[in-house]
Amino acid sequence: MSTTTPTVAVTTPPAVRPGLGGVVRWETRKLRHQKRAWAVLLGALLGPVPVVMVIGAQSRPPKDSLFGRFATENGFALALLVLGFASQWVLPLLTAIVAGDIFASEDQHGTWKTVLTRSTGRGLLFWAKTLVAGAFAVLVLVVLAASTIAAALLIVGHQPVIGLSGQTVPSASALALVSASWATVLAPTLGFTALAILLSVWSRNPAVGIAAPVVVAMVMQLVGSLGGIEGLRPFLLTTSFESWHGLLTAPRFTGPLVEGVVVCGVWVVVSLTVAYVLLRRRDITGG
Amino acid sequence: MLAVEATDVSKTFGTVRAVDDITVRVAQGEVYGVLGPNGAGKTTFLRMLFGLIRPDHGTIRVFGRTWEHDDVAVLDGVAGFIESPKFYPYLTGRQNLEGLVLLDGGVRPGLLEEVIELVDLGDRVDLEVGGYSYGMRQRLGVAASLLREPRLLVLDEPANGLDPAGIRDMRALVKRLAASGLTVLLSSHHMDEVEEICDNVTIMTRGRVAFHGSITDLRAMAPAPGYDLRTDADDRALLVAADHPRVQVDLRDDLGLVVTATETDAAAYVADLCARGIALRALVPTRTPLEALFFMLTDEPETDDRAHPDGGAAGRPAGATTGAR
Ligand SMILES: Nc1ncnc2c1ncn2[C@@H]1O[C@H](COP(=O)(O)OP(=O)(O)O)[C@@H](O)[C@H]1O
Ligand SMILES: [Mg+2]
Repeated sequence: MSTTTPTVAVTTPPAVRPGLGGVVRWETRKLRHQKRAWAVLLGALLGPVPVVMVIGAQSRPPKDSLFGRFATENGFALALLVLGFASQWVLPLLTAIVAGDIFASEDQHGTWKTVLTRSTGRGLLFWAKTLVAGAFAVLVLVVLAASTIAAALLIVGHQPVIGLSGQTVPSASALALVSASWATVLAPTLGFTALAILLSVWSRNPAVGIAAPVVVAMVMQLVGSLGGIEGLRPFLLTTSFESWHGLLTAPRFTGPLVEGVVVCGVWVVVSLTVAYVLLRRRDITGG
Repeated sequence: MLAVEATDVSKTFGTVRAVDDITVRVAQGEVYGVLGPNGAGKTTFLRMLFGLIRPDHGTIRVFGRTWEHDDVAVLDGVAGFIESPKFYPYLTGRQNLEGLVLLDGGVRPGLLEEVIELVDLGDRVDLEVGGYSYGMRQRLGVAASLLREPRLLVLDEPANGLDPAGIRDMRALVKRLAASGLTVLLSSHHMDEVEEICDNVTIMTRGRVAFHGSITDLRAMAPAPGYDLRTDADDRALLVAADHPRVQVDLRDDLGLVVTATETDAAAYVADLCARGIALRALVPTRTPLEALFFMLTDEPETDDRAHPDGGAAGRPAGATTGAR
């Protein structure tokens, strides 16, 4: 170490305290340096193109899927088909890659003790990480939706589409409806973001934080499709991935949409509350 | 106001009482050592001070503040690191420091460059931390701490894992920082380190305080130094010891003899051995008086620490072997 005399102050230091903004900037900066975050965004941007091309080129349309029947000849139908597919596990996975890692990676790198010995409390760190994970989920969804819709309309075309009640939806309103349908999955996507945060805080393991939400999504879908436990259906996060169906019927119904937003809201609040309490209380013994 | 005032602090992990009702007081401006063998509870105590873990019992005041009342404001003016400092491996040293500045709410202009200069990281501060050596990470840890311009610097075994030159640099740095008026609380499992740089010390063993007081008090309590002795007739050498009341000689099965005596008394005893035709194979100083005291206070077996791989032998009496026939 050099021999210059240190100039550390021995006077009372000014009690500066970081705001949420500074901590959010720090979390964002770390995220920008992580390849996987870029890989997710790139995947969301470019992934839909080959998917759209492959499905659009099928000689026999995937009739069994919702909007599958017209998917090879209609871009709007194809964008909705992809939406149904993305809701199964793609969106939970894409959001969990960041949300399931953002807390547990501190355990992985042993850096909790590094950040918690600064002037930032656990609460502030929690909210900053949560905000960044949520913002990333929104960004990924927007990119995926825009890319899918653009690719489908450019590659397959934008003719009027047949709705779920057999009604014809003119191209002009179809774009708005398809975009709105994609927007409705924001609620369950954020639900899975919060769940990934909880699992990541609880397990302290990024692999669990990332994989477990995907498994949960699959289990929820399975449970939702089982007979005999219909009572559970409305409370599952995965159910609200389908609430956009009401937008494409005639007449339109938005009951499931509202219900979905409420259910997802409850999932978010409960998950984040439990995660917050766990993080506040835990002993940081590692690192 | 004391810099640190920990009163009746305890922490249990499962069935292990890591810290058992300890009281530690650190005055402002002093260099305070928490000394103890591995597993004594030093790290657990320092983690509690930083609020990383919550004590089961007792209170810790730092400049009069407590976690219960002041939350993270306890750490205003406090910096340091616990065990080996950890950083984000995918960021450079500088990016790590800049990030920590954000978590501190800002920094005096120019300080970042000053601390990088001070710890001598040079250009390597712009390399990813993932490729850093242990010593470089330790330097980065010091830099990260000094960025907070602390009044109290807490270092948990700062010399651990460093090579002899690194240990020397680290000690020199701590001394310089202390000379500038900073309060330093450091833990160590090396008596010589604490003796060299600390004013006051708490010796811990198995979670409890075995001694606390000044280094001067400690020296006054210290017994005679110890030597490992090997001869061609250990049993006879043991008998000769009966004629030297101020020399204590113990036989360690197969390992030769342990002699505890002042330098002069030990020399007289050895001369007597030679005069009686007992050949000396080795005479090795094993511990300084303070080390001997440390082992007595913490009732550690004396042999295992010497075998410690982490450069622990630096600064100890050289293992000079005196062979004679
Ligand atoms: N997270 C933990 N879980 C269980 N036991 C622990 C934990 N942390 C420390 N201990 C135990 O507490 C005791 C004190 O450990 P520590 O504070 O690390 O000692 P030191 O720093 O003096 O080497 C040891 O017996 C250790 O095994
Ligand atoms: Mg330790």
